[in-house]
Parts: sequence; C-alpha cells; structure tokens
Amino acid sequence: MFYIHQSSCISHQPTFTGVDLQNLQPSVNNQLPAIEPKYINIPLGQLRRMGRALRMGVGTGITLLEKHKADGILIATSNGGIEDSITFLNQIVDYNEGRLTPTHFVQSTFNAIAGLLGMITHNTGYNATHVHRGLAFENVALDVTMLLRENPGHIYLIGGVDEISVRNYRMEAMAGWYKKEPISNTELYASETEGALPGEGAAMFLVSNNAESATAKLADLKLLHTADENLVANQFAEFVRDREIDLLLSGESGDSRFKRYYTRCEQAVSENTAIARYKHFTGEFQTASALALWFSCWLLQNQTLPEHCIKRSGSKTAFNRIALYNNYQGVQHSFMLVESV
Amino acid sequence: MSRIAITGIGIITPLGDTLTLNRQALQEGRSGLSSLEIFPTKYASLLPFGEIKITDKELKTRLDVTEPGVTRTTLLALHAFKQAVENCGLSASEIQLSETAFINGTTVGGMCLSDALYQDANFRETGSEYLNSYDLSSVTLYIQQRYGITGICNTFNTACSSSANAIMYGARLIQNGFVKRAIVGGADSLAKFTINGFNSLGILSSAPCRPFDNARSGLNLGEGAAFLVLEKEDNVIDKPVYAYVSGWANSNDAFHPSSLSDDGEGPYLAMQQALQVARISPKEISFINTHGTATENNDEKESIAMQRVFGNVPAFASTKSNIGHTLGAAGAVEAVFCLLNLIHDEVYASLNFDTPIEATGLVPVTEYKHMRVEHVMSNSFGFGGNCSSLIFSKGQKAQ
Amino acid sequence: MDREQEKLQLKQHIIKYLNLLHVTPEEITDDMPMFREGLGLDSIDSIEMVVMMEREYGLKIENPKDGRKILHNINSMMEFIEQGRAKLNSQ
Repeated sequence: MFYIHQSSCISHQPTFTGVDLQNLQPSVNNQLPAIEPKYINIPLGQLRRMGRALRMGVGTGITLLEKHKADGILIATSNGGIEDSITFLNQIVDYNEGRLTPTHFVQSTFNAIAGLLGMITHNTGYNATHVHRGLAFENVALDVTMLLRENPGHIYLIGGVDEISVRNYRMEAMAGWYKKEPISNTELYASETEGALPGEGAAMFLVSNNAESATAKLADLKLLHTADENLVANQFAEFVRDREIDLLLSGESGDSRFKRYYTRCEQAVSENTAIARYKHFTGEFQTASALALWFSCWLLQNQTLPEHCIKRSGSKTAFNRIALYNNYQGVQHSFMLVESV
Repeated sequence: MSRIAITGIGIITPLGDTLTLNRQALQEGRSGLSSLEIFPTKYASLLPFGEIKITDKELKTRLDVTEPGVTRTTLLALHAFKQAVENCGLSASEIQLSETAFINGTTVGGMCLSDALYQDANFRETGSEYLNSYDLSSVTLYIQQRYGITGICNTFNTACSSSANAIMYGARLIQNGFVKRAIVGGADSLAKFTINGFNSLGILSSAPCRPFDNARSGLNLGEGAAFLVLEKEDNVIDKPVYAYVSGWANSNDAFHPSSLSDDGEGPYLAMQQALQVARISPKEISFINTHGTATENNDEKESIAMQRVFGNVPAFASTKSNIGHTLGAAGAVEAVFCLLNLIHDEVYASLNFDTPIEATGLVPVTEYKHMRVEHVMSNSFGFGGNCSSLIFSKGQKAQ
Repeated sequence: MDREQEKLQLKQHIIKYLNLLHVTPEEITDDMPMFREGLGLDSIDSIEMVVMMEREYGLKIENPKDGRKILHNINSMMEFIEQGRAKLNSQ
C-alpha cells in the first residue's frame, strides 16, 4: 500500500507538540474536544476566516508541507466546516434571503481544507476531498495507493479531519449517536447504553512508496459496507489469517449496539495478541480512523502501550504488526494493517 | 492495457428524465432555464434556474421510495442510477458483487432541505425524519443499502468538480484492478444554501447565462443527476460500448478560494495531464464541453488556459447555457452530453452567445451541427481551486 | 459623535466583519489601502464590506466596480458615508 514518513496530529490529548498519551485527559461534558495549538504557521490573513475543522486540518497539514513538498493533497472529512455551514444557513433565514456575507459559505465548502492547503503552499498537484462518512479516510488511503502506483516516487499529503460543531452535535445527539447520561471517558467501555462520546481532531501523514526513512507501513486495507455481523467477522478472520498480529487496535466506542462486532473481531486473533482501544481519548467521529493510524505509528515507534488503552495485554514483547478494526454506526467497517519498517 | 468502457447511461436534468429527451432538447437548442415552480425561495421569480419540473412526491411514487428521510438529491441520484444500471443490463447480483464499486459526487447532498436543517440544528426538541440525511454520503448510502452494494463505495466533494472526480476515481479503481466495474456519477438539487451562497458572491445572473460572451453577467443554478456504468473492456462481451473514458486529471489552481488565476494554471495543468493520460495530442480533441459557467472570472481564465493548451482551440460549447450549473452533478451530466457527441457525431449549440470576450476572442459552437467526433474533453472546475478534465473517446457497437 | 469617533467605529466594524483578530483599530491608518499591499484584503473581503455598509450604515453600493474605489481606504469610506448621510437627510 504505502509508507508513512511524517505525521502530525491534533486531538483531545496533547499530540501536536509534546506528545503525552500516558496521562489521560478527562472528557468535558460528555465530549472530547481537541486541544488546539497556537497556529503559528497559518498566515493570519487566512486564519481569521477559519473555523475549527479548517484550523485543525490546515494547521496539521502545513506542519508537514513545510518539511517536505508534496505532489498532491488528499483529505478526508465527513462534514468539513459544518459550523460555518450552519452559520451561513442561519444567516439565510435570519436575513430572509437578503444580502448575505459570503465568507462562511466559501469556507464551508467541504474541500476548503485541501483547497487552502494547496493555495497556501502553492501546491498545484492532485487535490481530493473524500466525504464518505466513516470510510472517508479509508478512501483517501485507497486513492493514494493508486496514485503511488501511477506515479512511483511521488510523495503525498493525506489526512482526516472533523470537528464537533455545536449545532451539528445537537442533531447527531437527537439521532441517538451520543450518550445521554453523564459519563466520564474513563468509564466509557463499561457503559451498557447506546451512543458514544463525540470527538474531533486531525491527523495528517506524508506518504510514499519508498521505505527509506519511513516510520511505518500501511500494509493492507479493506472497506466493507454491511450490517451483517457474520460477514464482518468472516472477512476480518480472512484479513488476519496467516498474519502474526501483535496488537489489535479496536475502534470500540462504548456504544452497546456495536460491541458485538468488536467482540467477534477480537475472537479472530490469537490469545497472545494484545488488544487496545482509543475512542476514549479521540472520541467517536467519522474520520477517527485517521487518528487511529496516527496512534499506530506512534506505538510502533515508542513500543509502549499507555495503560488506559489496554484491554488485554497479550504476551508479545514487541509491536511490529498492528491490525485495526473500526466500525462506524454499524454499517461502515474498515480493516487496516500497519507494520513497522 | 484494457480500456475503460462505458456501458450504461442514466440522466435526469431540466431538459428531461431520459437520455432521449436530453438529446432532443440539445439538438433543438432548447433551454431548460425558467422561473421556479417547485422549489420555494425568495428568488423563485427573480432569477432563472434549471429546475426539474417533477415534485419529490412524484419522484417517490415513480421510484417506489417509501422510507422516511429521503431527500430530493437522493431521489434524483436514484433515478439516474436506476436508469444507468437498467440501460447497462446489470443484474441485481452483479451490482452486489464485491467487484462492483459505486462512486458518487455531490456538493449539496441533504442540505437541499435548508429549512428543515435550520429547525433541527437550532430549535427542535425531537428531530425530524432527516437527522441522518443532511450530509453528503447519505445520498450514496441510501442507494448502497437499497441495492445491497458490497464493493467499494465512496462520496466525493470537491465542489463543482465532484462528479468529474467520481468518474476519474471509478476509472482508476478499474485500471488498478481493485474492481471490475464502477457505477460513477453525481447528483445535486437546488438549495437555498447554494442559491444564497452564490448570490452573496454576486455571481448569479438575473438573465439566462451567456457563456463566453463579452457581456456575460454570471451563472444560473440548476439541478440534475447522471450516472455511468464503467467496465473493464475485456469483460464486456455482448453489449455496446457507448464510449471509453480515456483521459483524466485533477490539479489545483492554488490561487484563491473561489476564483481562477490569471493564466488559468490549474485548468491548464488538468487539460494537459488528461491528454497525457489519454496519450493523444491536443489536435486530436474534436470538441470541448467547457466548464463555461458564464461568470466574469471563469470564462476568461478557462479561455486563456484552452489557448495555452491548444493554440488553435477546437470546437467548444457550454451546456450550462441549457441547464444552468448543476454543481456537484455537472461533471457527470456533462459527461453524458459528451457521450451524445461521440455516439451521434454531432455537437450542440452554446446558447445566448453574441460577442466574444475581448481578451481572447474565442467563439463557441452556436449552431447544431454534424461532425466527426473522435475525442471529447470535458472540463469541471470548483471552489478551492479544484480543476478536473476528462477525455472520452469513440466507442463501438456490439459485435 | 465627532469625525474621529466615527472613524474609530468604522475601523471597529471592519475588524469585526472581517474577523481581523491580529489588527487593532490604531493600526489601520486613514490612508492605508485596504486591498493587496496595505491591509492585504481580497475580493471576498470587499463583498463583506459592502454588506457591512448596508447593515451598519444603511448605504448600498450597487455597482461592484464602484466598490473598490469607495472601499479603497478609511478616508474614501468616510467620504462615502458622509455623502450618503447628506443624501438621506436631504430626502
């Protein structure tokens, strides 16, 4: 598939600078908001117009593009600048379709993050935005895999980003996707109720098909659309067969409705395989799997599993091969295989 | 290498809900622009729009849609999707194979329901039936679930080039061996969100738009949907190949969030790289279906970019003069118009043209005419500097 | 309100409408060009300022080509506001 050289991440934990995954940050009012840094590398003329998703996406992206020029930019975001969208929508109604200001409209275009990254860094290469909800980032990974076959030697910026918007949260909560009762992220997996804790963040990567100086490799990827638990379990068993999996990184979200999918996938790996979880510090959102990939790269480099992530310790002495399973709303599933280089 | 064959076409636009009706209107140089009769907005009688005169209720009846939460964008998409797979003769089980991909491009998605969204986002205590339908992938996921598609599914949003990129992605999935066939295209419906958004930028024309005219004064918004069935040529045995997708490229203008650069660098790169992928020279292009929105900025910069690529620019037109700008659907809808050019060896008039742009002097095709059409280029450019060019090449009748 | 206060208020409106977080009213001098090399604003900002004139001062700039002239700097905007008020008062 491809090699990962550099990465950058904004999440609910300190991950942008001075990474600290050992000390778990508590959830805030049933949410896991991202810790936003001072965006010193975004031009102020652009920063003033950006909402959270744009700031997080452009901030992490530029950090990498300053280090290395890329041949193209591929971003996954299910909702883009959704808060800007609704702000503009409210203006339409509040001013009865009168004379409106265009900034929120232009910034809420879903491909604004990829577009701005291209504009600020003068990148005229391939520029794509995938918005397919819980499989948006996986489609980015597939897209870049094809690009690297078509253009060997190229380097691309890929990433995923989504924000918690006040008004979109309202709707997703009404739709039953989030916990209704007050709960701390430390008790997330013991919860037996429906819903997850919402999160947000951005994770970006510089990728190529060159192993030299790489920190990790995405070795395999599978996307699946189904609600059929047996199909998911069988496909996952197929995915890990004959592969020495040191760690299963599970996208378990604390939503009681989807626990059975994760349990079935856990049964597909050997008892020696460690099992870890991350949604208690990333929260649940459509492009959370981008953060999971970032976490996998970090684990391969650091070889220490933060205590709060461990579901089962297993018996492995080193992590060289990590399998990821993620499930979004019970119908979008992805498997990733990440290996050390 | 095996080519990417187009074996199924489905379309719905203000010109009609079948390929035949669309071709007739294009041949006659008929405009699908009018005042709004169905969609409610303050601008209904103030601006021309490309509105499909079929209500949601009628579409639901025709398509047998009974579930709650299905939006107009999804209905238009479903109409075109259904037509495309029927036209191709794909069976239900073929659609469900893991080797069949489904790639959709849209930029409005469920936000066509601006008023319901306003209520849900700000006031309602219990949500409406549309809570899970406002995003873009809701359109794709409804069709995916309805047809039981198990292969790769994706939704693109690169603004007004969304479905051009969906077509490109499908073609590349086949070329890279990830799937054997891909159903690709896009849909968008009229929305207060986009009407007021483009209006706030001052680029909506109060008269039917005049692409490439010196006195052009902006675009008209339209709605529509189109899907194509793409198959690896080797697998196509007993059906006609309408055309081939032979070239594609995407590049970024890297200049401004909503305008093209002075020398049209993004469009230039997209067109040039698409020619390279197709392995043909600029002079082999018979006809260009331009982006041609009729905004001050686009038409001049696109003209400059075409002159840079071609020197002598081939015959070209903008079908946005017929149906307006269908945003995320435009790339797919215009791809279908390109297929009509190739299938019938004919090109259609660009409407409302009178005087060429002073700086470039380019004159589009202004009358219907028969001509040999071998390769057609289709341009789609969007906000965020996104520029895509596709090339379609002549197909062949069934053996 | 005297002319200086009016100017300050105009600068505050500009900062608010364009979300110029990094700029204080004092930094916007009366003859500093708003676009390109001056404050570095672009075409989207100019539309924002047209809306600002309408919402805050009740003044319409109908022709976008006049916009660039009127919105050139603080002095030109003040002149437009004062002329607009005079016209409203004489009606």
